[in-house]
This record gives sequence, C-alpha cells and structure tokens, in this order.
Amino acid sequence: MTTPTSATTDVRIWDGPSADAPQPRRSFLRSAVAGAAGLAAFAAALSPLKDLDVMELADPQAFLQKHYKEMTPAEIEVALERIRNKVEARYGVRPDIRDLRPQAGVEFAYALNLSRCIGCRKCVYACVAENNQSRSPQIQYIRVVEMPRGTLDLERGNHHYDRPRVPDNDHYYMPVQCHQCANPPCVKVCPVEATWKEPDGVVVIDYDWCIGCRYCEAACPYWARRFNFAEPTLPKEELNPTMSYLSNRPRPRGVMEKCHFCLQRTREGRMPACLEACPTGSRKFGNLLDPTSEVSQILKTKRVFVLKEEVGTLPRFFYYFDERYPSAHDENVDDPRLPTSPAPEARP
Amino acid sequence: MPVRPSGITNASFAPWIVALVFLALAAWLTFFSARPDLGPTVSAALIEQADIRPEPRRHVLGEPAAIPMGGYSLRCMECHRFFQSPPVERRILTQHTHIVLRHGQNTRCFNCHDRADRGKLIRYDGTRLGFDQVPRLCSECHGTVYRDWERGTHGKTLGSWDPASGKQRRLACHECHDPHAPAYPDYVPLPPPNTLRMGEQGSGHSAGIDSEHGQAESATLGGSGHDSPLMHRSSMPRGTKEPTE
Repeated sequence: MTTPTSATTDVRIWDGPSADAPQPRRSFLRSAVAGAAGLAAFAAALSPLKDLDVMELADPQAFLQKHYKEMTPAEIEVALERIRNKVEARYGVRPDIRDLRPQAGVEFAYALNLSRCIGCRKCVYACVAENNQSRSPQIQYIRVVEMPRGTLDLERGNHHYDRPRVPDNDHYYMPVQCHQCANPPCVKVCPVEATWKEPDGVVVIDYDWCIGCRYCEAACPYWARRFNFAEPTLPKEELNPTMSYLSNRPRPRGVMEKCHFCLQRTREGRMPACLEACPTGSRKFGNLLDPTSEVSQILKTKRVFVLKEEVGTLPRFFYYFDERYPSAHDENVDDPRLPTSPAPEARP
Repeated sequence: MPVRPSGITNASFAPWIVALVFLALAAWLTFFSARPDLGPTVSAALIEQADIRPEPRRHVLGEPAAIPMGGYSLRCMECHRFFQSPPVERRILTQHTHIVLRHGQNTRCFNCHDRADRGKLIRYDGTRLGFDQVPRLCSECHGTVYRDWERGTHGKTLGSWDPASGKQRRLACHECHDPHAPAYPDYVPLPPPNTLRMGEQGSGHSAGIDSEHGQAESATLGGSGHDSPLMHRSSMPRGTKEPTE
C-alpha cells in the first residue's frame, strides 16, 4: 500500500492539472493529439483533391458555357477555341475542331447486310480509332453479336466470341450500334436536355452539358450508350485531330457517349469510318431523302427489318438480307462438259 | 474536480511541433496513401493499322494488265506472243502457279480469258473486255448480284455517301473477290470487347456471357427482364471450348 501522501499525488495525476499548479507538458500533449487527429481528418477529407487533374478542373469559361443550342456563333467559336487549347495542352496536337451543322435535305440512314457480315470486328476498331474513344478502360460503340442461325433472339447472342477464325458456319453476325431512332427514348429521359435529335436524324450529345446520370443508357433498348466511368486514356499519337463539337472531341470523365454516324465525316459528305473499314461491303450509308442513294435502293428492293420493331423507336439503322443461290457456289457441282464427268443420259 | 485550463498557451514551443506533425501527416496522406480505384483499366488492344485501313481488299490489275516478273512490269502478250497455251484445257499449271482455281462450275481459263489476246477478257458471245471491265464479265453468270451491284445494294462504295457528289467509287467485283476463288476466305477476328459493363474485366479472353454482368446485360439487350432458359445456351463456361465438328 502507498502512503496517503503518494495516494493524493496519484489522484492529482488522474485529475489533471489544478489551477494553482499548471502542467504545460501534459496539457500540450493532450492538445497536440487532439489537434493532430483533427488535422488528420481534415487532410484525409481533402485528400481526393490530389487526384484532381489540372485538365479536369472546370475553368470558369466552361462552367459558364451555355447549352449548345443557345450559343451564338461567336460563343461557339469561343468554346471551340477553349477545346483547342485544352486538347493541345493534353495531347500536344492542335486539333481541327469545327461545329459542323446538318445539311439541308439530308436524313442519314444506315443499312447492314446480314448475309455478308463475317464478324471480323474491323468496324469496331476503325470506329475507336476515328472517334477518340478511351482505350483503357475500353469504350466501343459497335458490338458485333454472334447469333445462332435460325433465330433473331438477342438473348442467344454472344458478343464475346473469340474464335481463331470467323465466320462460323453455325452462326451469323449482327453488329449493333446506335440506331439513331426517330423516336429516341434516350432523348426523352434526359433530365437536362443534353442529348437531342438533329435535323439530319443523328442523336447527339453535348458533352459539356451532360451530368452523367445515365438515364439514357438505361432507356436505350439497343445498349448503344457508353459511360465514361474513368478518365478516358488515349495515346497522344493515336488522337484523331479532325473533330467536331458534337461528335469525336475528347470526352471528360462522367459523361455519356455513343455512335453519331461519324458526324465529323458524314456532314462533309464522307463515309463513316466503320463502313470504310468493312472488308465485305456489308455496311451501307446514305441519304434517305435521295431516291438514288444506296440506302434508298436497299429499302426499296431488299428484305429489310429493324431491331426490336415492337418497342416503337423507329430506328434509322436497317438490317437486310440477300437472296442466295447456293448451287452456284457449290464446289461439288462440276461442269457437265468435263470429260471426267459421267456423260448425261440421252433424253428419250 | 479542478477546472482544466487551456494548456496550449502554456507551451511556447507547441506551434512548431504541431505544425510539423500536421505537415508530415498531410504529406503522407497526399503522397503515400492509396489512390482510389477509379474503375478497372485494361491494357488497350493492339490493333494493326493495316487491319482497319479503308482500302479495297485486293489490289487489281489495271488496263492494260501487267504483272511484275523478274523486276520488270510485263504485259501479258509480251510473253504470250511467244508462249501459246497447250490446247489441253484441263491440266496442272506450269506458269502462274499461285492461282488456285476454285470457282464452282467455272473451271476453264478461257471461259474468261481471251486465248488470242491475253491482255483481254472475253465474254461468252465473243465480246472482248479490258481488265477494267470486270463487272461486265462477271454479270454473264452472276446476274442478280450484278443487278444489286449496279443499284449499290451489293459491294462496297468508298468516297462520298452522296451519289451526286461525283466522289463515289464503287469497287469492282475483283477488288473484293478473288476472280479465281471468289468465296471469301476466313478472317482472324479482332479481339473481343473488354469494356466496362460489357462482361468481365481483365481476362481479355472471356469465353461467353457467363458472368453476372453478362447475364444482366443480356437480359437488357433482349428487352425482357426475366431469365430466359435460352440465355445460357449459346454461352460457354470459362475454360471450355465450343464444340466443333
């Protein structure tokens, strides 16, 4: 047992300093621990800031930018200049970015020949190269679905097929991308009108106006919209510097993107990148209002269907078939004039 | 219980220590703590630019036709003036041995090539055509395909989508099909997608719609929320191979 004196001393230690005998060391330690804990919490709360890229910081100019449809030509030029500077700072290339407007008397349509598509996926990667999609994480606008022959049930399709060679004899291949619907559900659900249908039929997105709620992704029956979950990464040397405001300019993290029929090409009369890369000529693109265009001819003369017609989206993307005459391609059929063939029976 | 005074004013050296501790803490948090995972990232698929270049599938002979031989570009008749083909029609080739003739019933060189003028092609009715008029030759047998090609519903068109622009170039038959073996060869497909919300990440060789995500996506794609018994029929579990015949 301790003496009463020492017991009193012990009690005083646990009670803290008394008014008449301040103990600076003890009180300092106490406040230091409390302060350090507080600052640690503060620093931890601020630590996400270290991930903030300078490029991601919304400069006041971008923050105050109006909706695309409300901007005057001068304001659009200011926005384009801001994007040019941003792209140049990040990728070291000064892009040729413009605000291409729809042409009068033009409504785009796409047709795809299911009898010819072999599922080689060249269209997928030509699209990625043209439209500056993120390479990692991968974003692709086109999905090539491998379907068992004899069905149109997409639930039986597989877009992860990884065969050494295509096409497989028991399957056919159906590429799916944005159908640019005339009655687009994605546009209806957008709470901020960041996506809309242009007069030439293309459904576009203002990446500066999108809030990333992904309602449109949920609404699309064709699974055509892609979300930038992470900051897109794109090697500098692979950047396509020919850009348009509403199409393939680099997107930030947290916005939606999708196929736009290569606006930066098609509004200047060129063909979409996926069409040019197709080795089979399965892909056809043109002006629906021009009766001589290839898509008009297809709609007039071929057997055409649209995907999920029953949902009422009125797509501008049509699938069609060819008539086939298998006997003409049959290897076993030999020329009857050949000396090795058995002589045809004489007719009575 | 004695009232506790505010102790910090009693220590004149305290601000320095506090500041140091705080600075060290902030620096540690800033530079050494783990970066939050922003989402799965995968290495980008390596794609040869030649694979997606917008050019015709085949390079074809022009008019007049000439082939490289021994470092020279030789026209057909520069040799065939001297070397006549033997009259036997069905035989093993001794020249042009790279040609594999796999054209269905069309098994004779001189069904299409003119025996007298090798720089020309010949129709059944004896009309001679240059090598730049191949579609007219093919149309003799492939009438429906030729009709479609003329309309633009068969074949590949480069240039502009607008026929009135004059920049359209519709590829001729032999710019896609090998005239000696017209059926398309098999292709090696480019890599399958490895994208967010498009199946499992990171494998690069996902075998089918076998993950939870894949099922969810498949259901969305099919437009019906319920589990279809057909859904798994085309999907293969990881590690198994598709049956081949």
